[in-house]
Amino acid sequence: MENKKNFKRLLIGPLFLFLSLHGFTQTDSLISGVKISSNLLISYNSSLIYPGIRLGIEIPVYSVNLIKNANAGRKKSIIKDHFISVNSGWYHHPGFHDNLFFNAEWTMRRTYKNRLFNDYSFGTGYSRTFLGGTTYHADKNGTVNIIKSAGYNYALIIAGAGFGFDFSKHLGIPLSVFSKFNILTMFPYNSTIYFRPIMELGLIYKPENFLQILTKKRVKKK
Amino acid sequence: MKHIFLLFILVFLAMNSCQKEKITLAENVSETFYVENNGASMRILVEGNTSSKVFIIFVHGGPGVGAFVYNSDYLSNNIEDKYAIVYWDQRNSGASQGNSNGKYLTLEQMTDDLKKTIQVIKFRYGQSSEVFIMGHSFGGLLTSSFMTTGNNQDMVQGWIFADGSQNYPLNDTLTRQMLLSIGQQQIALNKNRVNWQEIVSYCNAHTGNFSFDESNQMMKYAEDAETYFNEVTKVNSQELLLNNAAKFNWPLTSMLMNYLYSSEANFNKDLAKIEFSSYLNKVTLPVLILFGQYDFVCPKGLGYDLFNRISSTDKKIVISPISGHNIMFQDEVLFCREVNEFIALHR
Repeated sequence: MENKKNFKRLLIGPLFLFLSLHGFTQTDSLISGVKISSNLLISYNSSLIYPGIRLGIEIPVYSVNLIKNANAGRKKSIIKDHFISVNSGWYHHPGFHDNLFFNAEWTMRRTYKNRLFNDYSFGTGYSRTFLGGTTYHADKNGTVNIIKSAGYNYALIIAGAGFGFDFSKHLGIPLSVFSKFNILTMFPYNSTIYFRPIMELGLIYKPENFLQILTKKRVKKK
Repeated sequence: MKHIFLLFILVFLAMNSCQKEKITLAENVSETFYVENNGASMRILVEGNTSSKVFIIFVHGGPGVGAFVYNSDYLSNNIEDKYAIVYWDQRNSGASQGNSNGKYLTLEQMTDDLKKTIQVIKFRYGQSSEVFIMGHSFGGLLTSSFMTTGNNQDMVQGWIFADGSQNYPLNDTLTRQMLLSIGQQQIALNKNRVNWQEIVSYCNAHTGNFSFDESNQMMKYAEDAETYFNEVTKVNSQELLLNNAAKFNWPLTSMLMNYLYSSEANFNKDLAKIEFSSYLNKVTLPVLILFGQYDFVCPKGLGYDLFNRISSTDKKIVISPISGHNIMFQDEVLFCREVNEFIALHR
């Protein structure tokens, strides 16, 4: 008798779990292998008053269109995109340095039904600085030479968060504007780290057929 | 992709073209260049009258403070109109840059850096250029090292010593004595009683052979102590930051990280034992010594020790009655007058 009870419990437990999961999850249609075009990105960036620019390509990796039932039969749609973006950037800080950097980032973006979006990114890369003035070297004998293209190589970590607006639905142009706050960290910088807050204002262009990548696209209904 | 690549080639070439040497001999110059030495590229800002061919190298305190903070409007209007001031960021300070160079952060290396900086100044502005060095606070120790090493003093026309230290163990002893004696007077006068009682108790409990931590604690008390006197001019660092950060393109995060690294670096423990008093007899050049009456960080006793030990026949010591540890800000009038007179006499 005791064994039977235990067996029932064992059976009922997973069954309940299965049913409840099935009940809470939605009809999930997974469309794998959809070709999605990559995005092109250009932005002006600045740290306080020091100008810079960033150019990048956002390569789609994963896209989920989450459709939720809202009040009065209305439907809410959120698109969650994941990209790997490849960027190159530069900024100019007079008297300090010019910095040319290349990085790859993992970007997560949520676009809401009203076409507003927010995104978060994190990446690593390489930076090459060029010192903000003629650089001299004096040897042991006191002979002075000028070092050409003096500067340093650094490893780089960048993390950012921002928001924007996608015009493609309203204006019919595949363009988004965005603003983002990034923290750029370079190391080893004088045996420690160098960090630089960067404000960014830019455009994302979504061409129809540019660097199309086979992307996992999923529509989730709740 | 091709276009992006071409754009970056253009940016790279444009930046290389910016590396062209620009040397100006004029009355109102402001130019930045770098001196590379053993893993560090040290920023140098030259401001003022380079046509005078007189260059005053500011050897800043800290270590790690950087030279940006010394560049005040008052100095610009009252010294830079006659001579050029060289604001030199020591390694791991201010806008100086490098990779993993912490192992080179030693007094010996920094002494060599100063020598290389003078060589570059003379290369850039002509071998006939006349150089004066001015050490403030830790810069006093660094310039003492420079002046007592080899034939270094032959490279300069004179030495200005402003609220500096040439002997850290003596510095600790004098700071303790000053905190204790003035503290007791202030308690008797019932002025800032609570603060002074804490300081006096600490000094009574720590009488000598100071550990690194004890020395640091006394420096903290010494920095606070001058702020308890109304007659001492207050240094408004917030105003300095707001007025100058954008004007002189301060790289704020570099300054911060360099300062944090240098002020905590292990070499500070070695510095705590260093003294140059016993080598100062080597100095024969003209020397100007400036101290604040209320400088608890580097008490004026250090100035008298320097004055008495150097072999220079041409030497002068001046004590400002309204200044603490930063005479160049707290008694600008006296500071500029004395520096100008000293240079006019010895150039």
